[in-house]
Amino acid sequence: MKILINGRAVTAFNGETVLTAARRAGVEIPTLCHHEAVEDSGACRLCMVEIREAGWDEDWTKLVTACLFPVQEGLVVQTDSPEVRRTRKEILELLLARSPEAEPVRVLAAEYGVELSPYPEREDAELPNCILCGICTRVCQALVTGAITMSERGPDKTVGPPFGEATDVCIGCLACASSCPTDAIPVEDTGTTRTIWGRTFDLVPCAICGAPTGTRDQIDWLVKKTGRAAADFEICVACKTKATGEAWHRISW
Amino acid sequence: MKLLHIYPQKCIGCRTCEMTCAFSHLVGEQPGMSRIRIASDPLGRPGFSKVTVCLQCEDAGCVAACPANALWRDPATGAIYHKPDRCIGCHSCVLGCPFGNMHWEEATDFPVKCDLCGGDPKCAKFCPSGALVFK
Repeated sequence: MKILINGRAVTAFNGETVLTAARRAGVEIPTLCHHEAVEDSGACRLCMVEIREAGWDEDWTKLVTACLFPVQEGLVVQTDSPEVRRTRKEILELLLARSPEAEPVRVLAAEYGVELSPYPEREDAELPNCILCGICTRVCQALVTGAITMSERGPDKTVGPPFGEATDVCIGCLACASSCPTDAIPVEDTGTTRTIWGRTFDLVPCAICGAPTGTRDQIDWLVKKTGRAAADFEICVACKTKATGEAWHRISW
Repeated sequence: MKLLHIYPQKCIGCRTCEMTCAFSHLVGEQPGMSRIRIASDPLGRPGFSKVTVCLQCEDAGCVAACPANALWRDPATGAIYHKPDRCIGCHSCVLGCPFGNMHWEEATDFPVKCDLCGGDPKCAKFCPSGALVFK
Protein backbone atom coordinates (compact mmCIF):
# COMPACT_ATOMS: atom_id res chain seq x y z
CA MET A 1 0.00 0.00 0.00
CA LYS A 2 0.98 3.63 -0.30
CA ILE A 3 1.04 6.08 2.58
CA LEU A 4 2.07 9.74 2.55
CA ILE A 5 4.97 10.68 4.83
CA ASN A 6 5.82 14.39 4.84
CA GLY A 7 4.10 14.72 1.47
CA ARG A 8 6.05 11.85 -0.10
CA ALA A 9 4.38 8.63 -1.22
CA VAL A 10 6.01 5.70 0.60
CA THR A 11 5.44 1.98 0.14
CA ALA A 12 4.22 0.28 3.30
CA PHE A 13 3.22 -3.30 4.05
CA ASN A 14 0.16 -4.56 5.85
CA GLY A 15 0.76 -5.06 9.56
CA GLU A 16 3.85 -2.93 9.92
CA THR A 17 4.07 0.26 11.93
CA VAL A 18 4.49 3.84 10.74
CA LEU A 19 7.98 3.83 12.26
CA THR A 20 9.10 0.79 10.25
CA ALA A 21 7.72 2.21 7.01
CA ALA A 22 9.24 5.64 7.68
CA ARG A 23 12.70 4.32 8.58
CA ARG A 24 12.77 2.11 5.50
CA ALA A 25 11.99 5.19 3.43
CA GLY A 26 14.83 7.05 5.13
CA VAL A 27 12.61 9.37 7.17
CA GLU A 28 14.18 10.06 10.55
CA ILE A 29 11.95 9.69 13.60
CA PRO A 30 13.69 9.89 16.99
CA THR A 31 13.26 6.94 19.37
CA LEU A 32 14.78 5.84 22.65
CA CYS A 33 12.72 2.74 23.47
CA HIS A 34 12.74 1.07 20.05
CA HIS A 35 14.84 -2.07 19.67
CA GLU A 36 14.65 -4.29 16.60
CA ALA A 37 14.92 -7.48 18.63
CA VAL A 38 11.77 -6.97 20.69
CA GLU A 39 8.23 -5.70 20.30
CA ASP A 40 7.64 -2.00 20.65
CA SER A 41 5.95 -0.67 23.74
CA GLY A 42 5.55 3.06 23.15
CA ALA A 43 7.34 3.89 26.39
CA CYS A 44 9.46 6.91 25.51
CA ARG A 45 6.79 8.74 23.43
CA LEU A 46 9.49 10.43 21.35
CA CYS A 47 8.32 8.93 18.07
CA MET A 48 5.10 10.96 18.19
CA VAL A 49 3.87 11.82 14.70
CA GLU A 50 0.79 13.61 13.41
CA ILE A 51 -1.53 11.48 11.30
CA ARG A 52 -4.69 11.88 9.28
CA GLU A 53 -6.61 8.79 8.22
CA ALA A 54 -8.39 8.49 4.89
CA GLY A 55 -11.81 10.17 5.01
CA TRP A 56 -10.99 12.57 7.85
CA ASP A 57 -11.56 16.31 7.44
CA GLU A 58 -8.59 18.18 5.98
CA ASP A 59 -7.88 20.04 9.22
CA TRP A 60 -8.37 17.02 11.48
CA THR A 61 -5.25 15.28 12.78
CA LYS A 62 -4.22 13.10 15.70
CA LEU A 63 -0.93 12.53 17.50
CA VAL A 64 0.13 8.88 17.75
CA THR A 65 3.29 6.93 18.55
CA ALA A 66 4.83 5.88 15.23
CA CYS A 67 6.29 2.73 16.81
CA LEU A 68 2.85 1.33 17.66
CA PHE A 69 0.54 2.78 15.01
CA PRO A 70 -0.15 0.34 12.17
CA VAL A 71 -0.09 1.66 8.61
CA GLN A 72 -3.34 1.79 6.66
CA GLU A 73 -4.33 2.71 3.15
CA GLY A 74 -4.46 6.47 2.57
CA LEU A 75 -2.69 7.39 5.83
CA VAL A 76 -1.10 10.85 5.85
CA VAL A 77 1.83 11.26 8.27
CA GLN A 78 3.71 14.39 9.35
CA THR A 79 6.90 13.59 11.24
CA ASP A 80 8.20 17.08 11.82
CA SER A 81 5.20 19.44 12.07
CA PRO A 82 5.16 22.27 14.66
CA GLU A 83 2.74 20.24 16.78
CA VAL A 84 5.04 17.19 16.67
CA ARG A 85 8.10 19.29 17.54
CA ARG A 86 6.24 20.96 20.42
CA THR A 87 5.20 17.57 21.83
CA ARG A 88 8.66 16.07 21.51
CA LYS A 89 10.15 19.12 23.17
CA GLU A 90 7.80 18.72 26.12
CA ILE A 91 8.73 15.03 26.42
CA LEU A 92 12.42 15.87 26.28
CA GLU A 93 12.01 18.46 29.03
CA LEU A 94 10.55 15.73 31.22
CA LEU A 95 13.22 13.20 30.26
CA LEU A 96 15.95 15.74 30.89
CA ALA A 97 14.59 16.44 34.38
CA ARG A 98 14.56 12.71 35.02
CA SER A 99 17.98 11.85 33.57
CA PRO A 100 20.04 15.00 32.96
CA GLU A 101 23.25 13.01 32.47
CA ALA A 102 21.92 10.51 29.92
CA GLU A 103 23.81 11.11 26.68
CA PRO A 104 21.10 10.31 24.09
CA VAL A 105 18.59 12.41 26.03
CA ARG A 106 20.96 15.39 26.04
CA VAL A 107 21.71 15.04 22.34
CA LEU A 108 18.03 14.90 21.42
CA ALA A 109 17.13 17.68 23.84
CA ALA A 110 19.75 19.96 22.27
CA GLU A 111 18.33 19.10 18.86
CA TYR A 112 14.91 20.27 20.03
CA GLY A 113 16.25 23.41 21.67
CA VAL A 114 16.01 22.22 25.28
CA GLU A 115 19.06 23.17 27.32
CA LEU A 116 17.63 23.20 30.80
CA SER A 117 14.51 21.44 31.89
CA PRO A 118 11.87 23.67 33.50
CA TYR A 119 11.02 20.77 35.80
CA PRO A 120 12.91 19.97 39.01
CA GLU A 121 15.68 17.41 38.59
CA ARG A 122 15.17 13.98 40.06
CA GLU A 123 17.25 13.44 43.16
CA ASP A 124 18.72 10.42 44.92
CA ALA A 125 17.77 8.12 42.08
CA GLU A 126 19.04 4.56 42.25
CA LEU A 127 19.45 4.41 38.47
CA PRO A 128 19.93 8.08 37.54
CA ASN A 129 20.26 7.45 33.81
CA CYS A 130 17.25 5.14 33.56
CA ILE A 131 14.49 6.67 31.45
CA LEU A 132 12.16 3.65 31.91
CA CYS A 133 12.22 2.80 28.21
CA GLY A 134 11.86 -0.87 29.12
CA ILE A 135 14.26 -2.24 26.50
CA CYS A 136 16.11 -4.17 29.21
CA THR A 137 12.98 -5.78 30.63
CA ARG A 138 11.57 -6.62 27.20
CA VAL A 139 14.88 -8.07 26.02
CA CYS A 140 15.30 -10.15 29.17
CA GLN A 141 11.71 -11.39 29.17
CA ALA A 142 11.38 -12.17 25.48
CA LEU A 143 14.84 -13.47 24.69
CA VAL A 144 16.72 -14.51 27.81
CA THR A 145 15.25 -15.57 31.18
CA GLY A 146 12.92 -12.81 32.38
CA ALA A 147 14.89 -11.87 35.47
CA ILE A 148 14.03 -8.18 35.61
CA THR A 149 10.82 -6.23 35.42
CA MET A 150 9.30 -2.81 36.08
CA SER A 151 8.06 -2.28 39.60
CA GLU A 152 6.33 0.45 41.61
CA ARG A 153 4.42 3.30 39.99
CA GLY A 154 4.59 6.98 39.28
CA PRO A 155 7.77 8.70 40.41
CA ASP A 156 8.91 5.54 42.22
CA LYS A 157 8.72 3.38 39.10
CA THR A 158 11.95 1.50 38.62
CA VAL A 159 13.59 -1.48 36.96
CA GLY A 160 15.09 -4.49 38.67
CA PRO A 161 14.64 -8.06 39.84
CA PRO A 162 11.54 -8.77 41.96
CA PHE A 163 11.59 -6.89 45.29
CA GLY A 164 14.97 -5.47 44.31
CA GLU A 165 16.66 -8.61 45.58
CA ALA A 166 19.35 -10.68 43.90
CA THR A 167 17.70 -13.42 41.85
CA ASP A 168 18.93 -16.77 40.57
CA VAL A 169 16.82 -16.29 37.42
CA CYS A 170 19.40 -13.78 36.18
CA ILE A 171 22.22 -15.50 34.28
CA GLY A 172 24.50 -12.46 34.20
CA CYS A 173 24.65 -12.29 30.39
CA LEU A 174 24.66 -8.46 30.39
CA ALA A 175 22.08 -8.26 27.59
CA CYS A 176 20.12 -5.67 29.63
CA ALA A 177 23.16 -3.48 30.21
CA SER A 178 24.39 -3.82 26.62
CA SER A 179 21.06 -2.93 25.05
CA CYS A 180 20.33 -0.02 27.42
CA PRO A 181 20.33 3.17 25.32
CA THR A 182 21.44 5.38 28.22
CA ASP A 183 24.00 3.07 29.81
CA ALA A 184 21.99 3.17 33.02
CA ILE A 185 22.57 -0.32 34.38
CA PRO A 186 25.63 -0.62 36.57
CA VAL A 187 27.89 -3.61 35.95
CA GLU A 188 30.98 -4.36 37.93
CA ASP A 189 33.61 -6.56 36.35
CA THR A 190 36.69 -7.49 38.33
CA GLY A 191 38.07 -9.95 35.78
CA THR A 192 37.07 -12.97 37.85
CA THR A 193 33.63 -11.88 38.99
CA ARG A 194 30.75 -9.93 37.49
CA THR A 195 28.18 -8.06 39.57
CA ILE A 196 24.81 -7.02 38.17
CA TRP A 197 21.41 -6.48 39.81
CA GLY A 198 22.84 -7.13 43.26
CA ARG A 199 24.22 -10.54 42.45
CA THR A 200 27.89 -11.41 42.03
CA PHE A 201 28.71 -14.14 39.54
CA ASP A 202 31.99 -16.03 39.36
CA LEU A 203 33.30 -16.04 35.80
CA VAL A 204 34.14 -19.54 34.63
CA PRO A 205 37.87 -19.66 33.88
CA CYS A 206 39.01 -20.86 30.46
CA ALA A 207 39.84 -24.56 30.66
CA ILE A 208 43.16 -23.92 28.89
CA CYS A 209 44.51 -20.53 29.97
CA GLY A 210 42.29 -19.52 32.89
CA ALA A 211 41.05 -16.27 31.33
CA PRO A 212 37.43 -15.46 32.20
CA THR A 213 34.70 -16.73 29.84
CA GLY A 214 31.01 -16.43 30.85
CA THR A 215 29.11 -17.04 34.05
CA ARG A 216 28.18 -20.58 35.09
CA ASP A 217 24.46 -19.75 34.74
CA GLN A 218 25.00 -18.32 31.27
CA ILE A 219 26.87 -21.43 30.14
CA ASP A 220 24.15 -23.68 31.61
CA TRP A 221 21.58 -21.61 29.71
CA LEU A 222 23.56 -21.97 26.46
CA VAL A 223 23.89 -25.74 27.02
CA LYS A 224 20.12 -25.98 27.34
CA LYS A 225 19.58 -23.74 24.31
CA THR A 226 22.04 -25.34 21.91
CA GLY A 227 22.27 -28.92 23.19
CA ARG A 228 26.07 -28.75 23.17
CA ALA A 229 28.39 -29.79 25.98
CA ALA A 230 29.26 -27.24 28.66
CA ALA A 231 32.97 -27.78 27.91
CA ASP A 232 32.40 -26.18 24.47
CA PHE A 233 31.67 -22.86 26.12
CA GLU A 234 34.37 -22.98 28.77
CA ILE A 235 37.22 -22.00 26.46
CA CYS A 236 38.11 -18.35 25.87
CA VAL A 237 38.13 -16.81 22.40
CA ALA A 238 41.94 -16.59 22.22
CA CYS A 239 42.35 -20.28 23.07
CA LYS A 240 39.65 -21.27 20.57
CA THR A 241 41.49 -19.27 17.89
CA LYS A 242 44.70 -21.05 18.82
CA ALA A 243 42.97 -24.43 18.62
CA THR A 244 41.79 -23.54 15.10
CA GLY A 245 45.37 -22.59 14.20
CA GLU A 246 46.54 -25.90 15.66
CA ALA A 247 44.06 -27.74 13.41
CA TRP A 248 45.29 -25.81 10.37
CA HIS A 249 48.84 -26.68 11.38
CA ARG A 250 48.01 -30.40 11.53
CA ILE A 251 46.54 -30.49 8.07
CA SER A 252 49.07 -28.25 6.36
CA TRP A 253 52.35 -30.00 7.14
CA MET B 1 28.90 -17.96 -5.42
CA LYS B 2 32.41 -16.77 -4.51
CA LEU B 3 33.96 -18.09 -1.30
CA LEU B 4 36.84 -16.99 0.87
CA HIS B 5 39.30 -19.87 0.51
CA ILE B 6 41.87 -20.41 3.25
CA TYR B 7 45.14 -22.15 2.44
CA PRO B 8 46.79 -22.43 5.85
CA GLN B 9 49.87 -24.10 4.38
CA LYS B 10 50.62 -20.85 2.54
CA CYS B 11 50.12 -18.55 5.55
CA ILE B 12 53.36 -16.86 6.60
CA GLY B 13 51.84 -15.17 9.67
CA CYS B 14 52.62 -11.63 8.49
CA ARG B 15 49.38 -10.22 9.94
CA THR B 16 48.69 -8.11 6.86
CA CYS B 17 45.14 -9.49 6.94
CA GLU B 18 44.65 -8.36 10.55
CA MET B 19 45.78 -4.85 9.64
CA THR B 20 43.66 -4.73 6.50
CA CYS B 21 40.60 -5.96 8.40
CA ALA B 22 40.99 -3.42 11.20
CA PHE B 23 41.31 -0.58 8.71
CA SER B 24 38.35 -1.84 6.69
CA HIS B 25 36.11 -1.81 9.75
CA LEU B 26 36.62 1.60 11.28
CA VAL B 27 35.06 2.67 14.56
CA GLY B 28 34.66 6.38 14.01
CA GLU B 29 38.05 7.30 12.61
CA GLN B 30 39.95 4.60 14.48
CA PRO B 31 40.69 1.14 13.12
CA GLY B 32 38.17 -1.34 14.51
CA MET B 33 38.77 -4.79 15.88
CA SER B 34 40.18 -7.26 13.39
CA ARG B 35 37.78 -10.09 12.63
CA ILE B 36 40.58 -12.18 11.18
CA ARG B 37 43.34 -13.43 13.46
CA ILE B 38 46.72 -15.04 13.25
CA ALA B 39 46.82 -17.85 15.77
CA SER B 40 50.27 -17.98 17.27
CA ASP B 41 51.52 -21.28 18.56
CA PRO B 42 51.04 -21.88 22.27
CA LEU B 43 54.16 -24.05 22.18
CA GLY B 44 56.27 -21.66 20.11
CA ARG B 45 56.93 -24.01 17.19
CA PRO B 46 58.53 -22.22 14.23
CA GLY B 47 56.38 -21.63 11.16
CA PHE B 48 53.20 -22.26 13.07
CA SER B 49 51.28 -18.99 12.73
CA LYS B 50 48.04 -19.68 10.95
CA VAL B 51 45.25 -17.45 9.82
CA THR B 52 41.81 -18.05 11.30
CA VAL B 53 38.67 -16.33 10.13
CA CYS B 54 34.94 -17.03 10.23
CA LEU B 55 34.19 -20.22 8.30
CA GLN B 56 30.54 -19.22 7.69
CA CYS B 57 29.58 -22.67 9.08
CA GLU B 58 26.53 -24.36 7.67
CA ASP B 59 25.45 -25.42 11.16
CA ALA B 60 26.83 -22.36 12.90
CA GLY B 61 27.47 -22.28 16.65
CA CYS B 62 27.02 -18.52 16.83
CA VAL B 63 23.63 -18.62 15.09
CA ALA B 64 22.43 -21.47 17.32
CA ALA B 65 23.45 -19.56 20.44
CA CYS B 66 21.93 -16.20 19.47
CA PRO B 67 18.56 -15.65 21.18
CA ALA B 68 17.72 -12.51 19.20
CA ASN B 69 18.14 -13.64 15.58
CA ALA B 70 20.82 -10.99 15.22
CA LEU B 71 22.90 -13.33 13.07
CA TRP B 72 21.52 -14.20 9.69
CA ARG B 73 22.79 -15.79 6.50
CA ASP B 74 22.58 -13.90 3.26
CA PRO B 75 21.67 -16.49 0.61
CA ALA B 76 23.37 -14.35 -2.05
CA THR B 77 26.85 -14.50 -0.51
CA GLY B 78 26.44 -17.50 1.81
CA ALA B 79 27.95 -15.41 4.59
CA ILE B 80 26.56 -14.94 8.08
CA TYR B 81 26.07 -11.30 8.99
CA HIS B 82 25.69 -9.65 12.36
CA LYS B 83 22.87 -7.14 12.60
CA PRO B 84 23.66 -4.64 15.38
CA ASP B 85 20.06 -3.33 15.36
CA ARG B 86 18.80 -6.70 16.55
CA CYS B 87 21.73 -7.54 18.84
CA ILE B 88 21.05 -7.48 22.58
CA GLY B 89 24.71 -7.86 23.57
CA CYS B 90 24.39 -11.10 25.56
CA HIS B 91 27.79 -12.50 24.48
CA SER B 92 26.20 -15.86 23.53
CA CYS B 93 27.72 -15.89 20.03
CA VAL B 94 31.21 -15.19 21.36
CA LEU B 95 30.86 -18.15 23.74
CA GLY B 96 29.08 -20.20 21.06
CA CYS B 97 31.59 -19.96 18.21
CA PRO B 98 33.69 -23.13 18.51
CA PHE B 99 36.53 -21.70 16.41
CA GLY B 100 37.18 -18.41 18.20
CA ASN B 101 36.19 -16.30 15.23
CA MET B 102 33.59 -14.19 17.00
CA HIS B 103 35.11 -11.27 18.87
CA TRP B 104 33.79 -8.69 21.31
CA GLU B 105 34.50 -5.10 20.32
CA GLU B 106 34.62 -3.02 23.50
CA ALA B 107 34.51 0.26 21.57
CA THR B 108 31.06 -0.46 20.15
CA ASP B 109 29.87 -2.93 22.82
CA PHE B 110 28.95 -5.37 20.07
CA PRO B 111 30.31 -8.67 18.83
CA VAL B 112 32.06 -8.50 15.47
CA LYS B 113 32.56 -11.19 12.87
CA CYS B 114 33.82 -11.49 9.32
CA ASP B 115 31.28 -9.94 6.95
CA LEU B 116 33.34 -10.65 3.82
CA CYS B 117 33.54 -6.84 3.60
CA GLY B 118 30.07 -6.97 2.10
CA GLY B 119 31.14 -9.24 -0.75
CA ASP B 120 34.68 -8.03 -1.47
CA PRO B 121 37.00 -9.23 1.32
CA LYS B 122 39.97 -6.89 1.64
CA CYS B 123 42.15 -9.45 3.46
CA ALA B 124 42.20 -11.65 0.34
CA LYS B 125 43.22 -8.65 -1.77
CA PHE B 126 46.19 -7.81 0.44
CA CYS B 127 47.34 -11.32 1.45
CA PRO B 128 50.84 -11.51 -0.02
CA SER B 129 51.25 -15.29 0.07
CA GLY B 130 47.97 -16.54 -1.38
CA ALA B 131 46.74 -18.00 1.90
CA LEU B 132 43.48 -16.09 1.48
CA VAL B 133 41.81 -16.19 -1.90
CA PHE B 134 38.34 -15.01 -2.76
CA LYS B 135 37.13 -16.93 -5.77
